[in-house]
Order: sequence, then C-alpha cells, then structure tokens
Amino acid sequence: MYKFTLCLKYLLKRALAYFAMLGVLVCVFLMLTCVAVLTGFVNKIEVAAKGLFGDIVISSASLSGLGEYDELIARIKKDVPEVEDASPFILTFGILQLPGSDFRRTVQLAGIRLPERARVSDFEKGLFIQQGLHDPTFDPPEPLILRRLDEDDKRTFKILERVAGLPFSGDPMRYRQAVADKISMGAASGLTPDRQALAERLLNATGFQDQAIEHFRNAKETARRVAELQAQIQAADEAGDETKRDLLERQKAAVERALILPPDRRAILGLGIAGLSFRTPKGEIVRVIGPGQQIVLSMIPLGRQFSYADITPVTRNFTVIDDCSTDVSSIDSEIVYVPFDTLQELCNMGAQRTAGDANAIVEPARCSQIHVKLKEAPGLSRAESLRRVSDVARQVDAVWAVFQKTHPDAARSSVAVETWRQRQSQLITMIESQRTLMVLILGIISGVAIVLIFVILYVIVVQKTRDIGVLKAVGASNLGVAGIFLAYGGAIGLVGSILGTLAGCAVVWNINPIHDWVGRTFGFQVWNRESFLFDKIPNQVEPGTVLWIVTGAIIAGVFGSLLPALIAAMRQPVEALRYE
Amino acid sequence: MNSPQHAIEVSGLHKSYRLGRTHLHVLRGVSFTVEPKEFIAVVGASGSGKSTLLHLIGLLDRIDKGTIRLDDVDIARLPQRRRNRTRCRDVGFVFQFYHLLPELSVLENTLLPAKVDESLLSWVSHRGARRRAAVEMLERVGLGERMKHRPQELSGGERQRVAIARALMNRPKFLLADEPTGNLDSRTGKQILQVLRTASRDIGQTVVMVTHDAAIAAAADRVLHLQDGKLTGKWKERE
Repeated sequence: MYKFTLCLKYLLKRALAYFAMLGVLVCVFLMLTCVAVLTGFVNKIEVAAKGLFGDIVISSASLSGLGEYDELIARIKKDVPEVEDASPFILTFGILQLPGSDFRRTVQLAGIRLPERARVSDFEKGLFIQQGLHDPTFDPPEPLILRRLDEDDKRTFKILERVAGLPFSGDPMRYRQAVADKISMGAASGLTPDRQALAERLLNATGFQDQAIEHFRNAKETARRVAELQAQIQAADEAGDETKRDLLERQKAAVERALILPPDRRAILGLGIAGLSFRTPKGEIVRVIGPGQQIVLSMIPLGRQFSYADITPVTRNFTVIDDCSTDVSSIDSEIVYVPFDTLQELCNMGAQRTAGDANAIVEPARCSQIHVKLKEAPGLSRAESLRRVSDVARQVDAVWAVFQKTHPDAARSSVAVETWRQRQSQLITMIESQRTLMVLILGIISGVAIVLIFVILYVIVVQKTRDIGVLKAVGASNLGVAGIFLAYGGAIGLVGSILGTLAGCAVVWNINPIHDWVGRTFGFQVWNRESFLFDKIPNQVEPGTVLWIVTGAIIAGVFGSLLPALIAAMRQPVEALRYE
Repeated sequence: MNSPQHAIEVSGLHKSYRLGRTHLHVLRGVSFTVEPKEFIAVVGASGSGKSTLLHLIGLLDRIDKGTIRLDDVDIARLPQRRRNRTRCRDVGFVFQFYHLLPELSVLENTLLPAKVDESLLSWVSHRGARRRAAVEMLERVGLGERMKHRPQELSGGERQRVAIARALMNRPKFLLADEPTGNLDSRTGKQILQVLRTASRDIGQTVVMVTHDAAIAAAADRVLHLQDGKLTGKWKERE
C-alpha cells in the first residue's frame, strides 16, 4: 500500500516530476501527430485507390489496350464468384481548351461507362450534380441540374458578400456591378489587395455560373437558333454570298457555345483543374467553368498501330454536365471523364470492320483497363481483406490466362492483373517507409525522455535517500522500495502519454482548421494542396496506434526508472539513514 | 525446566566497518540481556558504538560475530523476508533527527508502518481500523489536533512525538530509540522522554534507548555504559 501512497505523493508534490511528464507529453504528442497523419495518408491512398479503380485492375502495357473486354468481363464474373462487377476504362492524354479563350492545358482523359462505373468504384460519391445517385449518367435530369447549380450560385454569392463586404441586393446583375465598382476603387474600397483579387475572381465565377444556368434554361431556344443560323448559312452559301456566310458562321459559333450537347458529347470535370475552379483561403471550392459550360478536348488517336505521319489530332466540343472529386488532388486536378464509347472512337480504339460489311469485325474494340469490384465481405480484418483481394486477383489472372489462349487478339502486349494495393505499391511503400523512418527518429528522440526520466528519478532517489532508510527501517523490502520508483516512472509515462495523446488527438482532429488558421494568420502553408495528393491533411488516429504509443511511453518511463529504482533498492538502511 | 526467556539477548557481539583504508572495530564482544518490558539506556561517548548496537538489534545492519536473540529467535538466521517483517511488526525506531517523510502529513507518517504491513487489497478492509489506531496514537502523544499538518509545520518536539507515534503504530514488542532527545532542548527532551516512557509502558514494550546524556539515561530502569566498543561493567540499576 505504501508504494501506491508514496508514488502518488511523489507524483503530485515533486515539481521535477512535471518536467519528466512534459518530456513524455511532447514525445507522445509528436509521435501521435506524425503517425496519425502518415497513417491517414496511407489509408487515404488505399481508400482512394480502391474507390477509383475497384479492387483489381487488369491493364495492358501498351496503348493498344485490351480487346474483347466485354466477353472477358462476362467470363470473369462467371468463373470467379467473388467478383461483384467489372467495367472497362480508357485512359489517355489530351488537351483541354475553353472555346473563345486562350486557356489550354494538358489533361488525362478517362473513358467511363455510366452508370456501370458506380458499381465498380466510388465514383458517384464525389459527383456534384448527381452526388450519391446509384445510377449516375451523362444525361442527368434537368431539374436536378438546375437545383444544384442554383444552390451553388447562391453559395458563391454568399462568399462574395463576405469577401467584398457588400450585402447581396437580390439582383445579381446590379450586385455584380456594385462589387465591380467597389473593387475599382482600389485601396479606397477598404479591401486589402488580396481581398480585392479574391472578390474579382468570385465576381468572374458568379458570371460564369449564372451563364451556365441560362444555358440549361434556354437549351431548346439555343438549339432552335443554331438550326436557324445553319439554314441561313446554307441559303447564303447557295446564293454565293461569302461575306454573309462568314458573318453567320461567326454568329453560329458564338451561339453554339451555349448549346447543351447530346449525352455522348458530355464531360465530367475533375474538381480541381487549375483555372476551372479555385479555393478561397477558407478552403471553399468555387466553380468557374462547371456544368452548363462547353470545353474543347483534343487528343491524338493512339489506340492502334500508326505511323507518325498518320498522327492527326482530333478535337471535339463537350458540354460539362457534372464534376467529380475523388479527394485525391493529383487526380482531380488533371482528369476529365467522357463517355467510354466516345473516347474509344476518338482514340481509334473502336471495332474495325471490313469495308462494306458493318457486321464483319476485323479487329475488336479495345479499352485500356478493366476495373473489377469484389463482393462485400464484412467482418474481415484489414490483413484478411488484403489477402482475399490477392487471392481473387490470382483467380482473375488464371481466367485471363485461359481467355488469352482462346482469344489471341485480346492483347498484343503483356497484361497485368494487379490488386489496388499493388498498383499503388510504390506510393504506399514510400509513405510507409517514411512513417517507419519517422517512428524511428521519434523513437530516438523519445530516448531523450527515457534519459530525462532517468536523470530526474536519479535526483529524486538521491534526495530521498533518508526516506528510503526510514522505509526500510519500518519494514519495506528492497523490492518494495524499487517498486515505488518503478511505479513512479511508469506513472510519469502514463500521465505524460495520456496528456500527450489528448493534445495529439485535439491537434490531429483539428489539423485542417489549425493549418488554415496558421496560413491566414502567419501567411505560410505547410500543406500545399498543389503539391500533395489530397486537398486536406489526412488525419486518422487509430486506437491501436494510441495503445501502442501509450504502452511504449509507460515502458519508457519504467525503463528510465529502472536504474534509479535499483540504486534505491540496494541502499543499505544504515547508510541511507546516515546519508547527509 | 526452561531457563527464563529474555526479551533481548546479546552475546559476544562484534561489528567492524571499513572507512576508506581504516578498519574500525566498533563493537568488541558486547554481551547483555534485556528482560521483557524493561527500559534500558545505553550511554557512551560519541563513537563508542551505541548506535551501531541499536542498528544491529533493530535488524538494520548485519552482525559480524556473536548473536542477538529477540524473544529467543536468533536474528542472524532469519531470511530477508522475515527480517523485513520483524522490522515492520516487532521493532519500532525513534531517530534523533525524526526522519519524517516531508510529503506526508502527520497522520500519513504515523500510518506508514501500517501501510508497509498491508498489501493494497488488505488495506481496503483494514483501513478504518488502522486509521483509528493512528489517530488514537497521535492523541496519546498530544498531536490529535495536528494530524493534517506537514512535518515542516511542526516544532522539533512535535516532530519527535510524530516519530514516536509512528514507532508505536504497529504496537511492536521492541522500541529502539537513538538519541531521541539529542536534537531538543532539555525541557522538551524531558517531555519527549515522558511521552516515550508512558506510551511504551501502556503498550508493554521493551525499550532500548541510546543516549550520551546521563540525565536522560537516568530515567531508564537500567543503564549500560559502552566504551570503545565494550560494556564497562558500570551498570546502574534504577531504584
């Protein structure tokens, strides 16, 4: 009983103990924060990889891709019962332009089948217009589009109100003019240069958003007007009036930008392509070019054998119908999703038929990858789940091996069947290595805590030499005296680690607001959204990690107190009582 | 027929220390007996071996040669666990410099031997009784009102009373006092001696007190003179 009493008293009454606790607290805090962020990073990559590409990816090493994919998918679904669904996918590079502007940038073009895509990935979860719909398409219902666009427009005006410091008048046109007038006043407006610049960007965005809504509302009228202009062009052409024809052509091109193109010419933008959307300093996303606007996509059809002389870029206009956030900024910032069949055609990956006979297929249509989704298997641990995916991948690989023999044209180069983890292994391994390294470094730093506890306890043992003598005089055993100081070290570790865990959790769970606040207040950002994969700092505190760290801290405390405890235990009572 | 049992029987006791290069032969064949409930004083000059004798009787140090029997038990043969238990239950120490633990209150200091005697679990069931006994002991030494005070808030005499209460807490058979009044003025010393005598008599203890003060020693039933590690034979029986 005396061990408990004295341990508690020394813990509460000795100021030195607080320094030791502080040391443990700092070490635990650092360890927890770093491990939580890096674990969050790894988990986010895993979730994103699964969400984007399904559990298993079958991919061709060549741009020529995989043929007879629908038959292969049917075979896989038949032969591998764990497979829930699979969907073909095309991935290529292209250039995105905005009609009538100088804006252009390279993007990745992804050809996807909707709503099939939603069955093999979490694609629908990140959609803006069709968020959460189980059957998203390239042709969502117009009322839904208008409702979402209207909500987004109002949200943008609210942000503008806050940034510009002008209450919304109710009339968008007049309000925009009032904000523009305020910005034009420069410093006299009372707005900082940063706020002026942001207000200007928001003003521009509201203009585009209002315009997009108009495009949907006036879709039929625009189509009629285009048809009318086409007829006039034809008439001018027949009349041989070149000047009028050119004028009408220009008019038609301008009107056509407002057209809502048919479903096979629609695109879903990755939410984060620079120039098409931006973030406010508070992290709010503002769409500039979004649903209702047209974009121009150009690509080189590299799907089949070609000679360099044959390369001719193809260019098509698309209407943006939705946007999608995967939470992985490196993907969202450069991807545009278009209908699978459209991209297949543009990439020269469609089926090739003999001239004059549409049914005689010389070469089958191709895709870049097949994404396979497994059936849910609840109750599996993470390791079991990974093992299961690997097992199914081997089965899929076996199906492919058989399929390839009966369908030699299916692939002209090697085909890989990989799990989502294997595909991301380079990145995951890199981050896991960083985490291990970080834990190692922090472990070494934590050695300082052990030394600190050792020094502090040694000092206390020296200070308490007479007390040790008294304890032995009243019957305390060597083990009992050692127990006081071991428990003391352990308690320092426990209290320090609990406080460190609380501080760590508080920071980790609020790491994004804290980061934003630091950015706003001190003007620098550690987490650059342009450079990192995710737009938010991942923060995942795993109970197992906390337990591991707290246990480590207690062991460190006990370890640090081991030698002082032994010194205390070995003190001869007579010597201890005589100690000056 | 068994010979009458002595409370303490010291026979041919030797003890030496090494102090640097010097070999100090502190006790050189000391022999004496103490009867149950007897109060004896050991007097002698500084360095005569008084405290060493007390430490050996109290199992705080190991014997080089000779025997000490407490209640007919040869303490040199006791295993460490029994030595600890004997120190806890059968022996109470009062030191010259009180040796109270500064982190503990007066009551907690008094309870210390009881807490050493109890495990965490047994403490739960005996806590009330132990606490009552400690309170009673403190009241007996006149510190009933100062139980929550820290040692540093007490006078020298009060601190020594706490030390006496602590030594009596487990109601040991033997009370060993090492210069209990050595750090106090003569008036307070006499008071402390009175407290020590009364309390030990009430409990029925055998007391061995070491002192260099002949006036204090005079209060004992018997006085032993120690000189250069030997009893001189100048024994004084109390009238």
